[in-house]
Amino acid sequence: MDRETVERVARTAHIKLTEDELEKYSRDLGEILTYFELLDEAPGCERYGVNPIEVADVLRDDVPRMDIDADLLLKDMETYDRYVRGPRLS
Amino acid sequence: MSMKRIMESLGTVNSKYQMFHAMTEDTDPGDAKFLFSAKDNLTSKDMETCAGSRILEGYFPAFDATAIARMREAGGKLIGKTNMDEFGFGTFSTNSGLEIPRNPYDLERACGGSSGGSACAAAVFEDHVSLGVSTGGSICCPASFCGVYGIAPTYGRVSRYGLIDYGNSLDKIGVMSSKAGDLRKYMGMIAGRDEKDPTSCVQPEMRNDHRKIGSIAVPREGTEGLSKDVAKAFADALDELRRMGIDVEEVDMPSLKYAMPAYYVLATSEASTNLARYVGMRYGRPQGDLSLKFDDYFSSIRSEYFGDEAKRRILLGTFTRMVGYRDRYYSKARKVRQVVIDDYKRVLEDHDAVLAPTMPFTAPRFDEISGMSALDSYKADYLTVPANIAGTPHMNVPCGYDGNGMPIGMQFVADHWNEDLLFTMAEEWEKDFEMRRPEVVA
Amino acid sequence: MKIGLEIHVQLPTKSKMFCSCPTTEAPGPNTHVCPTCLGMPGSRPVLNKKVLEYGIMLAKLLGCRITDTTWFSRKTYFYPDMSKSVQITQYDNPIGEGGVYMLNGKKPIRITRIHIEEDPGKTKRVGDLSSLVDYNRSGIPLAEIVTEPDISTPAEAREFLGQLIADIRHVIDLPGDGERSIRCDCNISVGKERCEVKNVTGLKNVERALTFEMVRQTKILKAGGKIDRETRRFDEERGVTISVRKKEFEADYGYIDEPDLGVYHIKELADSIRIRESPQQMTVRMARDYGIDEKMAKQLITTSVDLAELFETVAKDVGVQNAVKWVAGPVSANWKAMEARGADPSGIMPVIEKYVSGQITDTECGIEIKCLLTGEDADSVKEATGDLDKIVMEFLDANPAVVSDYKKNDKAANKAIGFVMKSTGGRFSSAEVVDAVKRIIESRL
Repeated sequence: MDRETVERVARTAHIKLTEDELEKYSRDLGEILTYFELLDEAPGCERYGVNPIEVADVLRDDVPRMDIDADLLLKDMETYDRYVRGPRLS
Repeated sequence: MSMKRIMESLGTVNSKYQMFHAMTEDTDPGDAKFLFSAKDNLTSKDMETCAGSRILEGYFPAFDATAIARMREAGGKLIGKTNMDEFGFGTFSTNSGLEIPRNPYDLERACGGSSGGSACAAAVFEDHVSLGVSTGGSICCPASFCGVYGIAPTYGRVSRYGLIDYGNSLDKIGVMSSKAGDLRKYMGMIAGRDEKDPTSCVQPEMRNDHRKIGSIAVPREGTEGLSKDVAKAFADALDELRRMGIDVEEVDMPSLKYAMPAYYVLATSEASTNLARYVGMRYGRPQGDLSLKFDDYFSSIRSEYFGDEAKRRILLGTFTRMVGYRDRYYSKARKVRQVVIDDYKRVLEDHDAVLAPTMPFTAPRFDEISGMSALDSYKADYLTVPANIAGTPHMNVPCGYDGNGMPIGMQFVADHWNEDLLFTMAEEWEKDFEMRRPEVVA
Repeated sequence: MKIGLEIHVQLPTKSKMFCSCPTTEAPGPNTHVCPTCLGMPGSRPVLNKKVLEYGIMLAKLLGCRITDTTWFSRKTYFYPDMSKSVQITQYDNPIGEGGVYMLNGKKPIRITRIHIEEDPGKTKRVGDLSSLVDYNRSGIPLAEIVTEPDISTPAEAREFLGQLIADIRHVIDLPGDGERSIRCDCNISVGKERCEVKNVTGLKNVERALTFEMVRQTKILKAGGKIDRETRRFDEERGVTISVRKKEFEADYGYIDEPDLGVYHIKELADSIRIRESPQQMTVRMARDYGIDEKMAKQLITTSVDLAELFETVAKDVGVQNAVKWVAGPVSANWKAMEARGADPSGIMPVIEKYVSGQITDTECGIEIKCLLTGEDADSVKEATGDLDKIVMEFLDANPAVVSDYKKNDKAANKAIGFVMKSTGGRFSSAEVVDAVKRIIESRL
């Protein structure tokens, strides 16, 4: 995989790469994708599912309910007045 | 060894084998009926849950995974959370940001992965059951390297509520133990519908007919590239199966060679979306400089706390689903999965199970592993990946030992929902198999 | 100029889309949250059946083809309000595709697709230092309606949205504005290249944002410049759009299937769901079926769909003429008063029947209806009506041209209405005056 593509992928995935990493992953991913060329010759199939077994029509009734105390979920988070703290937006 | 003795010696044993990331501080089992451990990607209320990743350090879940909750309800005492490859990304449990478990038969060797700590615990402790998770072979591989029984059931058999996701269309929670009978016993406890996981809600009831396997298919594709010791032990095992009155037939399963690339595409595509949530907010200890712009903040946390293999798989999986590449990789892999399923269904029409060695070699030394490329270790999964991508239940059964005394295993694959056949197979095999337990000096 | 809209409508479920957290007003930030809507590791989504039903209803309203099997996809992008950095939405096989909406019953606006997805949380800026996030909104169900670029002007976009929302509100009992108001991504191109203005809230702002963009793009093109394909946001206070990112920096969402939910075979469910006629459809149908003016039909429906339905009942039982005379007349004039006191309209039909069978006179019928609806006693109504009628009659006696002009153009009545309104100084509602004037003019034709 060429460096430019790796850089683009890394930016999309929000991973910063050092120069060494960029080189290493370009090489590794190149090698892996070459091996994946096997897929091009693999037979296809018109049917395919979201899961290996069919999981269909599992639904929940529209009944509000809270099982876990929200305070318990917030206890390990960085908060301010119950708001979760996050980074700068722009 | 009594439960109490085991609990008292946990610290010492763990310092030798490093099977646990988190452990109970209790030294008394109380009124527990049995002790168990669970892979550290299953959430537990009372223990930190990190899934082998530094990015999750400090995550104390507010809820138990359904599998753990059911074990506790049945009287189980959770003694530890087992070490693993980060998020399940590996074959040797060495891709970890935390501790690396050591093989009970040789501390210089790996336990296999990614449920390495679970296999280690199952091998070391007497009367111990450990919950593992398999995405591409992460139960059978370490079970094989550590010489224990291990089953990954049909996809959807055990609720994944509380499982920290690797690949949601592939992940399966199963059971590992040095005793064959434990598979049936504990799978019965954790299986069954759970309204918190829709994929668990379509399963038929797990049968306990004790039905025996009458015929086995051995795919030619599954006996290629084996080490000499593995090939020999497997040939002997086939003879033994014939002696047990089972038909053994060689078959062709041409789709198997495509399973590996299809698996890595699906698994990393899904994984890269699952791992997108780890950005240094909401859970885990990692916190950085919030005055950075969000893109930079997220990138800095992710770059610092994800390990090497996690980054590699995130990059690979992000690429395979990107516009311009999605059709060639992700969409094609979806179709290849169906081709592999169809291939299994075809062979399992005439046979009760498909059998091959679990791993092409025995547990490697850590120095050998560090010399392997990423692709080399992906390729090592070629025997375990097909059943995983097909969602069919599969089980490792110890079948011999190599020249260094390291365990060798074979893997039975049955059709969807036919775990009963595998349980019975393990129970029958155990009767005449000479299991060599590792020497454990606490 | 071409305008296409992506319209987000919050669906009025009681619990969230993928977890059971309530959707009602929360007592504070991050109180209606659980592991699922916070995206905590190990949590899992389970689909709310009602969301699927609402999605199907809207697909039907928009005349979309409803797919037999639908499923969800993961859209991956990074923002502090998106708890999983993944939005569960639909990509392949959305609920509905290929619909059309008739603007004013005449102009077709093609609907590309409609799908259902989850809302992210809400961010709040803290100076320029960091952000604060409230995940109460995270996981609220949304329907996204995507139109083809068939809208011609910013005003038309607003008109379309107004009608569409009224129709949606009617079909799925959407509550009032406020939190649940409409959000739109607006695509607009004056020349060849288009810009997208993301996340504009409310009808008025959609028109403002589009107008600003129209002017901006036109100016650039006139000066010989080139429009860059980009994403912009709308600054409500200043009324301007601002570039957020150029096309080459667009996020690559990398859609994949959502395996945690499986698939949904919705054909049977879709067949079993019947939707109420939308106000727009009802207007067109009533005008056609009863040979009345579209304006009259629209006025009845806007006042209340129940009123329009009463019109239909009366028309069917005792003829369109009586429906026009009574339902579109005094009943309509006093309907709001009836609603205000929470009265029941079931007594109206018997009164009209008494008139039809000749038991009561024209005037008596009008008085009885008014008493029934307003709760006033007959004598004062009689007196007031008498007064009103008297004033109207005196005016018409003095201005007979109004009656003859009315034959050519019913606007002639305005002269009489204006006079009566002024001279009675607000004693009667405008609806009552209009009704009396028209009734008396028509009796003199």
